[in-house]
Amino acid sequence: MKTPYLFDEFFAANLEESVSPFLTSRSRVWGKNLSLKSAASAATLLAFGFSFSFFNPPISYMCLSLVFFLVGTPALLAAMDDLRNLEINIDVLMTLAALVCVLIGSGLEGALLLVLFKLSHALEDLVSKKARSALANLNNIAPKFASLLDNDGVAFEKSVKEVDVGALLIVKQGEVIALDGIVVKGASSLNLVHLTGESFPLHKTIGDTVPAGARNLESALVIQVTRKSGDSTLTRLMQLIMQAQEAKPRLQYFIDRFGKRYATTIICLTFLFAAAIPFLFAISYFGSEGSIYRALAFLIAASPCALIIATPTAYLSALSSAARRGILLKGGITLDALNSCSMIAFDKTGTLTTGKLACVSFAPISLKPACGIDEALSIAAGLEGHVVHPIATAICALAQERKCEAIDIQDFKALPGFGLEGRVAGMSVAIGLPEHIAPHLIAGIEAKRKQGCIVAVLRIEQDFFLFQFSDPVRKETSALLEKLKDVNKLRPIMLTGDHRQSAEDVGRLVGIEEIFANLRPEDKLTKVAELSMSGGLAMVGDGVNDAPALARATVGISMGRIGSAVAVDASDVVLLNDDLHLLSWLFSKARHTRRIVKQNLCLALAVICFATMPALFGLVPLWMAVLLHEGGTVLVGLNSLRLLHKK
Amino acid sequence: MHTHFKGKEALAHVIEAREKGQIASAEIHGTELPGHYSAAADAAKETALILLVLWVIFREMQEEAHFFAFVFILGYLVWKVGRSAILGYARLERLHRVIEEERWEITHHRGQEKEELKALYAAKGFSGKLLDEVVDVLMADDNRLLQEMLEEELGLRLETYEHPLKQAAGALVGVLGAAIIMSFGFFVLPEWSVIVLAFLVIALSAGTTAQLEKNKLLPSMVWNLGIGALAASVAYFAAQIFLR
Repeated sequence: MKTPYLFDEFFAANLEESVSPFLTSRSRVWGKNLSLKSAASAATLLAFGFSFSFFNPPISYMCLSLVFFLVGTPALLAAMDDLRNLEINIDVLMTLAALVCVLIGSGLEGALLLVLFKLSHALEDLVSKKARSALANLNNIAPKFASLLDNDGVAFEKSVKEVDVGALLIVKQGEVIALDGIVVKGASSLNLVHLTGESFPLHKTIGDTVPAGARNLESALVIQVTRKSGDSTLTRLMQLIMQAQEAKPRLQYFIDRFGKRYATTIICLTFLFAAAIPFLFAISYFGSEGSIYRALAFLIAASPCALIIATPTAYLSALSSAARRGILLKGGITLDALNSCSMIAFDKTGTLTTGKLACVSFAPISLKPACGIDEALSIAAGLEGHVVHPIATAICALAQERKCEAIDIQDFKALPGFGLEGRVAGMSVAIGLPEHIAPHLIAGIEAKRKQGCIVAVLRIEQDFFLFQFSDPVRKETSALLEKLKDVNKLRPIMLTGDHRQSAEDVGRLVGIEEIFANLRPEDKLTKVAELSMSGGLAMVGDGVNDAPALARATVGISMGRIGSAVAVDASDVVLLNDDLHLLSWLFSKARHTRRIVKQNLCLALAVICFATMPALFGLVPLWMAVLLHEGGTVLVGLNSLRLLHKK
Repeated sequence: MHTHFKGKEALAHVIEAREKGQIASAEIHGTELPGHYSAAADAAKETALILLVLWVIFREMQEEAHFFAFVFILGYLVWKVGRSAILGYARLERLHRVIEEERWEITHHRGQEKEELKALYAAKGFSGKLLDEVVDVLMADDNRLLQEMLEEELGLRLETYEHPLKQAAGALVGVLGAAIIMSFGFFVLPEWSVIVLAFLVIALSAGTTAQLEKNKLLPSMVWNLGIGALAASVAYFAAQIFLR
């Protein structure tokens, strides 16, 4: 049977044409970033129109017609839609101002207004598209169908939506568990990195509960379903992200509200002035000194062109500067949010630590073992070389580091969920869980586990060796935290799902005193919400379990390389090179951006105040009002460009 | 019987759905060619014919009339390109509406969709346990089920259509190509060459379309040329009657 088409991306993208399943794959590229493409084409045509206006007006008008078609038609449609919903906002005001420009013979100004307006909207679209893909990625992790066992023990596939509680699922090696359940047959290790961000494998055997989304690393498991797909761990995570995204404070709400009031006021005032001025002063309605002409000049002068580009251009420059340093920010609003932060919370595994298991100790347990430590390591590497497992990777890396070559193993056998065994030169060798390899030594080993270490035991005949693994702290993390405290005045906090002991060890090493350990994804979300009540909180994380907290925090910051796709999408900032040291620069840049935005807003408002009232009283002619208006726009744009500097 | 079937049997409902699918996917240029090819061929034919008719009407007037024809074609170019894109977008909107409706039905009327699928495969000759197994396999994965319902129930084909703007680009190439070829007849070559060039463009467009559709080449070209000649003659004689 042919591979089914995956419709999820299409529906997640709100039926967007660039991912339409009906279009040929080569043709879809025509629909990508159409808004931005049409704005760019319109800007080019406007430049031509402006150039030709000096020596060949008909060509200039032809170019302007195309500009009005490309950016004016969508603006007109949007304005009509708003008016139909009895809503007067900046969209309506801009469209009206552009139309008025045409009516009074200032088509170029009208076109410029529309092109700038379209550009800012196109950039907004790009940002919101990225935000939408968070849920699509989480959806990709979730299996769409499960393998069930019937009464005769024969496996068959069924949509996860149709699987009832009590059904038996078979999950083969390498597969992702489709639904929450209890293991009823088999034993294996599960990797929960997609769910918890922790890369350590967890051993699961009969009677243990297993969550949907975990990957089965070793042998087949039979699982009895305990929750339907609508109540599964993955679905709950998706709901948490949605709630968090909706609950997030957005400066945009304020801008929209302000825009609506501003537009309504200006339009009402325009009509009022046009109608009332002849009653107050001895001037007529029509003519170049008439009230209608003055009211139109007032409308154009009051068009918030500079006001509209005051923030996006500053944000865009800061975003470009950040991108050049390997920081991806999802929208300029993130910069505002960064400014409001007084605390910064870190996830432990993968953020403060490297997220990769490393062997920190390898020593004999037996007093006088028959073989040397290097030979034992070679045997361990020989055994682990047969499997793919984080512990195996760490042992092979240690052997490579100490230049111990892996020894060939005869009669190799994997005991899923327990370990590996074989023979070397007639000796029986085994490696794996202490409970299986050395049950009589378990009491002594348990103390190491309580300290947060992962352990494995190697047996060579009657001699035993102990491997201890942990997740090492990233280099220079403590220097970064000092800088964040001293320069950026941020309070560092650690939020982790790990044991308190290992969290405190890492906290001591990097200099974090405020530690919250043993947190499940929902606990992290609650803690983040609680901390956010007392001030702005930036959250740095990498796992799927961090995703709800990243989405809920004032600013979510994720690691681009090691971070899960869901965490990256749920966050507002992505450190593409996983370089935490850029955090201090980012907070400083955000402060600089706020200063520039404030300057821009003051400048734009000053120009509007200076041009509108004199235009109304006939002191500023129309061309002067347009010049002041556009001049203000250019100044605001140039001021924003200062943010492009890397420093 | 479930209200979803509106009083009909499952198979009758499937037939009705397929008609809906055909309406949604109807090729806007009247052929089964990928959109940009049909748009280009269609636009080239029409442009050549319009220029021929204008030449027939105004050929005894001054040279300005020739420029008039090309100024007219500029406006026609914008219309043709815009129309092709608009029709393409309209079709895409219809198709997207259909896919959304089908997805809604799969989510909310799963049982009825299963019945429809059963009826479809029973009509194909499946029966008994094999039929149940086929239906269970198809129902196991929602992506596969949606694709199956779109293709089998509604008769739609995925990844078949070209983007509306690509179609519009095809129309642009068609109009520009035909206009450039015809301009040689109008301004460079002897007067009679306008007819030859117009027929050449019409024949080439019709021939390309026939070739891509695997239709018979000669009848297609002759029919198109015949219609072109008829249109030019009618315009010529009408001009003789009404403009003199």
